[in-house]
Amino acid sequence: MAKSIMLVDDSATMRKIIMRTIRAAGLSLGDIQEAGDGGEALEKIEQSPVDIVLCDVNMPGMGGTEFVEKLRSNSSYDNTKVIMVSTESADDFISSVLALGANGYIKKPFTPESIQQTLEPFMG
Amino acid sequence: MVTDVCFHDTLIEAASEVFETMMFMALEEVAPEDAHMEEDSLLSSITFTGALEGCLAICCGSQDAKLIAANMLGMEPEDDISMEDICDAMGEVSNMVLGSIKKRIADSVGEITVSIPCTVSGKMLDTSLGENANVTEEFVNLDGSLVKFQFFYKDN
Repeated sequence: MAKSIMLVDDSATMRKIIMRTIRAAGLSLGDIQEAGDGGEALEKIEQSPVDIVLCDVNMPGMGGTEFVEKLRSNSSYDNTKVIMVSTESADDFISSVLALGANGYIKKPFTPESIQQTLEPFMG
Repeated sequence: MVTDVCFHDTLIEAASEVFETMMFMALEEVAPEDAHMEEDSLLSSITFTGALEGCLAICCGSQDAKLIAANMLGMEPEDDISMEDICDAMGEVSNMVLGSIKKRIADSVGEITVSIPCTVSGKMLDTSLGENANVTEEFVNLDGSLVKFQFFYKDN
């Protein structure tokens, strides 16, 4: 069964680009939801849980790091996979976000190959 | 040390990475005397602070911005693309180019923290960070579109 996904980014353009790139990578998806920041994402997930969240880091309102912390503080979402998508590329930062409970990290700018490589393990 | 960094090369390499990866657009440098910006333009800027403080500004004509947005979104330039989407796309370009610069200068300059990008449209737009700021300014041709990059910085 295709996985449901949520795209969290304050840029609608970036959400469209990510979606287009996922399709270009040949990955099939189920339901797709979108949110403009971490707070909106949490509200929507509470109403309609998803399998995978792709989340920006630097957003107005609730950023990606706080989103991961809050999501992981609720055991109901232990099976929700969170992939961060960001221009932030420092190894220390990436390690810290993964330690908070993110399951993967995609650096911007990205290619269909880098999206596929990161997402594929969670698509089965 | 800021003096260890050649911001010209850093800016060009960072911009090339973003435009080639996300938009499949090749970047070619243009001499300032050959660069004639459209009057109607979009200016996207994003500020940073930390080891350096300053601003990256990217300016181009409205039609050129539409072409860039179309390439980002996988659309044709003649497709209907809203000004909101064009500004949003330009903001993402500035966000990604600054992210790429940040990665390239981290070892020599140190860490910087980046703001949320902002894009405005208008006529003859320009940016300044005061008289004491250093600036690296580059004009590039992107598949026929002229784009101006300005990297303003002050050493902290």
